[in-house]
Amino acid sequence: MVNDTLQGPADGPSDPYYCELNGDRGKRIPQLERVRERLKNLDISTLVARAREAENELFNLGITFTVYSDKDAIDRILPFDVIPRVLTAGEWQIIESGVVQRVKALNLFLWDIYHDGKILADGVVPKALVLGNSNYRPEMRGLDPPCGTYIHINGTDIVRDREGRFRVLEDNGRAPSGVSYVVENRHLMQRAFPDLLAGLKVRPVSNYGEQLMARLREVAPGGISDPSIVLLSPGVYNSAYFEHIFLAREMGVPLVEGRDLVVEDDRVYMRTLAGLARVDVIYRRINDDFLDPEAFNPTSMLGVAGLMRAAHAGRVTLANAVGTGVADDKAVYAYVPQIIRYYLAEEPIIDNVETHICGTKEGLDYTLANLERLVVKPVGESGGYGIVVGPKASRTEIEACRKQILADPDNFISQPMIDLSVCPTLAGDKVQPRHVDLRPYAVTGKETWVLPGGLTRVALKEGSIIVNSSQGGGTKDTWVLVEDGA
Amino acid sequence: MSLLARYAEHLFWLARYLERTASLARIIETHVAFDRVRDDDVSWAWLVALHRDEEEFAKHYADPSLKNVIKFYIADIDNPGSVRFAIRAARENARALRAVIPTEMWIQLNEFYNRFLVFSDRDLDPIRIARTCDQIKSGCYAQLGIADSTLYRDEGWRFFRLGLMIERADQTSRLLDVKFAQIATGAGGHGRAVDETFWSLVLRSAVAYQAFHRFEPRGADPNRVARFLLINSSHPRSASSCIIEAQRMLGELRSGFGLRGVSRAQEEAEELLELLQTAAADTDLVRRLHTVNDSLQRRLMNLTGSVGVAFFGYTPVQQQSQSQSQS
Repeated sequence: MVNDTLQGPADGPSDPYYCELNGDRGKRIPQLERVRERLKNLDISTLVARAREAENELFNLGITFTVYSDKDAIDRILPFDVIPRVLTAGEWQIIESGVVQRVKALNLFLWDIYHDGKILADGVVPKALVLGNSNYRPEMRGLDPPCGTYIHINGTDIVRDREGRFRVLEDNGRAPSGVSYVVENRHLMQRAFPDLLAGLKVRPVSNYGEQLMARLREVAPGGISDPSIVLLSPGVYNSAYFEHIFLAREMGVPLVEGRDLVVEDDRVYMRTLAGLARVDVIYRRINDDFLDPEAFNPTSMLGVAGLMRAAHAGRVTLANAVGTGVADDKAVYAYVPQIIRYYLAEEPIIDNVETHICGTKEGLDYTLANLERLVVKPVGESGGYGIVVGPKASRTEIEACRKQILADPDNFISQPMIDLSVCPTLAGDKVQPRHVDLRPYAVTGKETWVLPGGLTRVALKEGSIIVNSSQGGGTKDTWVLVEDGA
Repeated sequence: MSLLARYAEHLFWLARYLERTASLARIIETHVAFDRVRDDDVSWAWLVALHRDEEEFAKHYADPSLKNVIKFYIADIDNPGSVRFAIRAARENARALRAVIPTEMWIQLNEFYNRFLVFSDRDLDPIRIARTCDQIKSGCYAQLGIADSTLYRDEGWRFFRLGLMIERADQTSRLLDVKFAQIATGAGGHGRAVDETFWSLVLRSAVAYQAFHRFEPRGADPNRVARFLLINSSHPRSASSCIIEAQRMLGELRSGFGLRGVSRAQEEAEELLELLQTAAADTDLVRRLHTVNDSLQRRLMNLTGSVGVAFFGYTPVQQQSQSQSQS
């Protein structure tokens, strides 16, 4: 029976982590009692069997990413754990309002730094950090995106510490991926565990496509009431191609590639059977660098020449806007609490993780003096690459890290090691605690809407705190309870 | 808004590869299962001639034995004429279409693709190959059936049907051509007697066995078989049935969707029909059959080329190579 293992992690007094299902060392979360009861009643062999069926289904559905070698193309699924992560209505309220606040502040920040740069002049954020940032795009100066929105689609990586407090670990304001898994995971759970969900009031996630579509319509260039919207993908070889399909399908818009679009007279057109058809809004999943060979990387075969010209002329809206990477930069991240206070005159609803910027003298000194206790991250990397976890690193790894930091301090930040919360997870034929994080997705047009829940990523390797799929991470369905009462 | 041109192109080729796969699997299955003069030495050279693969085949295999032919036409991913290659191509086209086609179509094709991602020795064992071919055929039929009952009836549907019809007409014509060549090369081609069995194999390869015998109670002879497969207006796989349907699709694209770009293709379809009408009136069709088939296949290629130039951005120079398979 699952019974024992489900109680295990939180009941053991020696266990140092906050448990998403069992709470804090025996302090139960009463709202989750019903879910816990149902999970306990599941037989472990049933759980294993249904998990296997679920993974088969993902494979057959083609909810996969493709790994290419010289000759073969191998489809792989993102590992899926069948034990859901559940958030109470109260918890969700904190996350939702915290994310809305953050996205609002980041959009105001982007507007400011691509216009007057008041926040820089006022010395709240160091000028060099922004203007000298490789993700700052001078091409965006003076461009006025509709509704002042730069980050239309945002993913905020949130973790929970030992005390059960939420903290923002990272902002993703370029082209955050993973939302398709949120919706597909729920569909999968509904098919595989109808008994687990029956009668529970869980907030739905399947309307993401409609919400996204509605927000993108809001940001169409002025005067266009029935905009033509497309999703621009690098194509079938991109590892997130499934997600591009999913989003286009859910919105009912064409999934186009660079070769399907053309810019003429600062207007963007799509090649249809009947000739060229105007395009007003592009949800683009191609990075800034490759988006427009005329403005950026001239060798790009994926992009569309002239997109930036069309955007400047106000003929097309790019979502997300170009140049948002400066706002989700790991060093700028350290200033987000100040950014929130500066524009909104509010305190951050969700705190940052304490961050030391190696580009500053204090940050560098502190980091070098405490390497074995800190997590060091390269500023420009994503996907969990290049992270050195001090407490888990060998002597040699620490020294190598020290050398790298000294060679290029600006490229690093450090943070204390967070004791990420855990969630019961199926590991072989046992249920064991594994570390998780959460990435809620926010879409913004005039206003911001947050998809209830988000992507729970789980580090499947025992003891690992790196949840990225490239590093052995999987996902879970995330349930947000509609109400916490009784 | 009109359909993204690339989607139409993928739909066109998706249908062609499915039809091609089913056709090849059926021909192999039929000959393995129904040829009563089975003999291990029986030559499969005629199959290699179906798509004029003699040169390529000879590079890799010593002789056209059943075992070698199975390898080359079923499992060899480097052979663009193989089942394995065609299933992959069909699935690649479907992958690019996933945002527009019903999920049902994609799931079936994806499972089908994964089933035959690797052909086991058991799958390819001459003793079991008929069963394997039957599964391949069923996979294609299932996909075509799902498309028929679920695919949205827009321009894309017409391009899907157009691809299907062009490929089907081409396959029927090729089958007739190699079979009559087999007779012409004497001794029924490598010791093959031209008897009842021979004609039944031809007819079964074109799913025409039952219908032919209802329609022609006098039984099979070269002239009747050729006419049935070329110009019978009720057999859905006859060349003229396919061309009439293709013509209807082109007409709908023009009148229902205002695509004037079809005009060249419409002219070509018209010429194709004229060719078949002339053949129908020919009292000595059997003697001129190869010329008719040759012309038929060439014009079908041109038809694909014209559609490609008008809608898929093919340059006229590309036409030749593009018209048989996707680049």
